[in-house]
Amino acid sequence: MQVGTRDKDRRPEVLRAVGVAVGPDRSTLTVYVPAELAARTLANLEDNGELAITFSQVIDHRTVQLKGKLVSLRRSRRNERALQERWLAAFAEQLHMVGFSRRLALRIRIWPSIALELEVRDLFAQTPGPGAGRRIEGGA
Amino acid sequence: MTLFESLPAACFQGVIPAFIATCSVDGIPNVTVLSQVFRLDARHVALSCQFFNKTKQNVLENPHATVQFYDPVDFTAYRLELRYERAETQGPLFDAMALRIQVIASHTGLKGVFRLLSADVYEVLACEKREGFLIPAAADEAPEAVDPRVPQSELRCLHLVSQRTARAPTLDALLTALLEALEESIGFRHSMVLLPDETGSRLFAVASRGYGDEGVGAEISVGDGLIGTVARERRSLRLSNMNSELRYGRAVRASVQATSGKRELRAEIPLPGLSDAQSQIAIPLLACDRLMGVLAVESKSALGFDEWDEAFLDIVGNQVAACIENAILRERSDEATPATATDAGDAPAASVAAPGPRRRFRFFPSDDCVFVGDEYLIRNLPGRILWKLLRAAVDGGRTDFTNRELRLDASLGLPGLRDNLESRLVLLRRRLEQKCPELRLVSTGRGHFRLDIACGVELEEVV
Repeated sequence: MQVGTRDKDRRPEVLRAVGVAVGPDRSTLTVYVPAELAARTLANLEDNGELAITFSQVIDHRTVQLKGKLVSLRRSRRNERALQERWLAAFAEQLHMVGFSRRLALRIRIWPSIALELEVRDLFAQTPGPGAGRRIEGGA
Repeated sequence: MTLFESLPAACFQGVIPAFIATCSVDGIPNVTVLSQVFRLDARHVALSCQFFNKTKQNVLENPHATVQFYDPVDFTAYRLELRYERAETQGPLFDAMALRIQVIASHTGLKGVFRLLSADVYEVLACEKREGFLIPAAADEAPEAVDPRVPQSELRCLHLVSQRTARAPTLDALLTALLEALEESIGFRHSMVLLPDETGSRLFAVASRGYGDEGVGAEISVGDGLIGTVARERRSLRLSNMNSELRYGRAVRASVQATSGKRELRAEIPLPGLSDAQSQIAIPLLACDRLMGVLAVESKSALGFDEWDEAFLDIVGNQVAACIENAILRERSDEATPATATDAGDAPAASVAAPGPRRRFRFFPSDDCVFVGDEYLIRNLPGRILWKLLRAAVDGGRTDFTNRELRLDASLGLPGLRDNLESRLVLLRRRLEQKCPELRLVSTGRGHFRLDIACGVELEEVV
């Protein structure tokens, strides 16, 4: 799960996210990024709020990308940490399935983190191949 | 040396997927998965472009890109700031990248669908380690062992290979010596040599090590898979993370099927050799402009081989190709030499109506296939040769033969110039060792051999 942003000069930034929660109305998402690595991402979001989030399964490269606009930005609450730990365990399991040690993946720093709430504008199929980039209708 | 130059080569083998972020001219960021980042020189990387996607569209409008990628050994994350420079659609870089994609396309049944459009070259503006991406390892935690091989000096390896292959008296002995030396000196435990058949359109494994009984006789079409592609293109190739590359290919395959369901895709081609190979190198064995065969090695480790291994095998391959050609020419030129007692060694005397169990051999002329009992033994030219030898032994009581008479026998259909009789006899000898040890082809001098039969023989031609 990767978060893409860009600065005022349209220079892009990419950062691995460490958890996601779908909002109750299903048109907003909260994405968690590690605070220690997020300086550029946060500066970009303060400048323009544009976001691309790409979800890709390690095991089969099935990928979707959504585009949206930042709604709010805050430090994650303590009760949101469990969600990130579940994400990390699942990610470590995926890496393990393709031959990597869980121990390595479990060292990914997930805390403290920043919660980015965004409104989803568009959803695209992004699995490598001729269909990549196709808009998924009704997805957002 | 900059950080970028000093990054371990493993970072550029695509083991853990990398991601690239770009931005459209109207300010919308885009993030997508990358199959591999190639380090070109101290200031450039190349990314493969298989489809004209949003990333490509963006960098043509706005050349800035950022890539996050990982060292697969310790999972350290790195960040590259890039500026798109150019797309190459021909030349050595394009050819090298296209070849890798052809192999994956071939294995996943995507020939012609999944191909390289361009090798996109980016300038590296900045490279940094993502400090804080990982929680530091505990002090008592040992790093994971990735490569169990113990490297020895390059010279020693070459010396051993060179010595053994140069001294091998026959093609058979040469191939055995080569694979033994590769394991002993450098730890390549799974290796095979494939030689072209008489049509030149297929390759068959004539010697293998580390595959049990199943290696010898395996076949692959020229142009198919890693080995077939290397044979067709006559260029060596190393794949370092087969699983990951094949997963990428399969993702494309699923995507092709989803977007154009009616399109008929070819079936996936099973990889010859290990079912769980993670790394492979295949080297064309070229003597002048002739393809003598392909040398392939495999490893179960994703980072089993590096550039050095490929370069080393290339050197070995050059030498071995010449040795194979010499061995074949030597065996051929000595065909007129009569058999001597010394050559025959201590091989037991031949007998046709030998005591012991009877074995039934069946020949299927439609595909020149020979079965022993109910088990497949061999087919094509070596099948025809075996049948001729068995007929001569059973009908005429004859067990001594020469390569020359096989060569002159029109019914066997050996191609004229540059036939491959020697390599086919090596394959026949090895298949007999594995599947029917009661029959042996024993050399009785250069170009002469005897069929030893230690069982009763029953022949049936299935029309």
